[in-house]
Amino acid sequence: MQLTLKKLLNTIKYLRHCLWAYYHFTGYKPQPITIKRVIKWLTQFDEKDRRIIVKLLESVTYYSEKETESTIVNLNARLLERLEKAGIPLKKIIYIQLHDPGSSSAVMLNMLRDRGLIERKGCHFIDSKNIREIHEKTSKLEEGAIIYVDDFAASGNQFTETRDYFAQYIIGNFSEFFLLPVICEEAHYQLSKLGVEAVTRTIHSKADRPLHQHSSLFDKASKDRLIDICTQIDKKGALGYKGLATMVVFYRNSPNTLPVILRGCVKQNPWFGVFPRTTDL
Amino acid sequence: MSPNTQADQSKNVEKAVAAVVPQGTLQRLKVSQIKPNPNNPRMLFDRLPLNDLKENIRLHGVLVPITVYEVKGQKKYAILDGERRYRCCLELENEGLEITIPANIVDPPDKIAGILYMFSIHNFREQWELMPTALSLQTVIAELGEDDTSRLSKITGLSEPQIERCKLLLDYPKRYQDLSLEPNPALRIPSNFWTEAYPVINLAEEELPNLAKKIGRDGITDNLVEKYRAKKIKSVIHFRRIIEAYEVAEDKKEKKRVIDRLADYVTNIDLETRKAFDEFVVDNRRVQGSIKACDDFVSLLKRSKLDHVLEKEELIVALRNVRDHVEKLLLKLEGSDYPDPETENE
Repeated sequence: MQLTLKKLLNTIKYLRHCLWAYYHFTGYKPQPITIKRVIKWLTQFDEKDRRIIVKLLESVTYYSEKETESTIVNLNARLLERLEKAGIPLKKIIYIQLHDPGSSSAVMLNMLRDRGLIERKGCHFIDSKNIREIHEKTSKLEEGAIIYVDDFAASGNQFTETRDYFAQYIIGNFSEFFLLPVICEEAHYQLSKLGVEAVTRTIHSKADRPLHQHSSLFDKASKDRLIDICTQIDKKGALGYKGLATMVVFYRNSPNTLPVILRGCVKQNPWFGVFPRTTDL
Repeated sequence: MSPNTQADQSKNVEKAVAAVVPQGTLQRLKVSQIKPNPNNPRMLFDRLPLNDLKENIRLHGVLVPITVYEVKGQKKYAILDGERRYRCCLELENEGLEITIPANIVDPPDKIAGILYMFSIHNFREQWELMPTALSLQTVIAELGEDDTSRLSKITGLSEPQIERCKLLLDYPKRYQDLSLEPNPALRIPSNFWTEAYPVINLAEEELPNLAKKIGRDGITDNLVEKYRAKKIKSVIHFRRIIEAYEVAEDKKEKKRVIDRLADYVTNIDLETRKAFDEFVVDNRRVQGSIKACDDFVSLLKRSKLDHVLEKEELIVALRNVRDHVEKLLLKLEGSDYPDPETENE
């Protein structure tokens, strides 16, 4: 009886945060965020750790579907305006989908198609895998702009690899842009080396990621403890791919650079996350 | 070709070549204002010479201006010449050095001039993929109306064999070319597969008319692709063994054996190239190697001027050993060999 009461009191203590999470992270598609799930997630950790875990959760920047769409559409509209001023007509603009259909890049492009009506304006769309079309289209247009689209770039390695391969087949003079709501500092640097301009709302700096080694957002003890918990969950990928420890989550999935304390482990067993990736479920 | 068309063509070519070496205005640019050429892969540059250049720039700055043109819409200048200098400056800037680069700003190159520049980059690559060059060459051929290998070599700076190989690649149907455009390296068929397979496909088509009629040239090609994917072609260079086997076959009977094997090779995906054809060419290689050894041996003896040496006992023994071995070998090769007493009982 005493134990149940204690548990109840603990739950009430964190209920405010759980309610906040429920409202703030609404619409996360891989697994809907419910109050029950947030409580379940939080209470799997020791009580003494929960305060800092809640603090970490509150550091997450969440992009709902609506916000993602409005961000990408607005960024695109501003870019098109700029290109028009520079003398690049819409029919000389090529949008590139970076990954397979169903990927975040394809979803972002569809948003632009639906909301931005760019297809009707005469812009072109090419899948980055369709090398021949890239060659033939750029050869035909001779000049213009190439716009790569995605929601997020972390290390920039994947983008660089894809772009480097097909860039060999680009004919003519094309300015290049990477349109995306959020880009990490690391990817931004990679892009600058390629001469591809990031058109973005946020550059997610290392300092903004509480568990990143270059961040001092949390005091050392809290940070070390959180990293310890992450390491318990997944020794190798504790802070996400390449230890990037990013803190951005999109409605349709979370990046693999998110610390595992938020993601949970594969199959969500024994540790489950508040933002499991589709591949983790 | 009419004289007028020929004159037009020459004009096109001159224009294209002239456009690669444009005139411009000189300015100093920040590193962040410069955009590397997209056709220039980063793996192109050797680290050691780049380090030397970097240290030189650290001490003296960039002495020779790079050549750039303004990229419309991006407020950046794309490099036409000077990629290595730029990369060194980029690294120096990341190390905290403030640096500006003198740049000759020219008009953007037109399509053909851009392609010619691309060729000059590809020429410096050690391991370059043929496909980007081949597709761009196709554009040059179409735009300039020039198909002659020698003239194309002069225009593009590519060697004649490179152009021939590109043409050969372009001779394949698009669906095969596209297999070499696959972005995933694990799934991509390398472009040299096509150039090496070409004579084999030709040979199969010519010498195996029934098979060619049944599955067609594309069917033969498809089977070779399948064989490559099944890892039964360990190296595309091994295709040369097939042609060699056919060429060294001395009589009709031997040629027929090679052709029968080729039929089996094309239709049986699991039959590996070397396993199929080594028996036809290994002997030939040993014979050619031995002929060379004989020539070298005789030539060396002649050069040594041994006719009047005084310390000759050992030499005489050695030469007799050679003579004995040669005599035995000759008897064997001429078909009148006798049992070798040293090996008979083994």
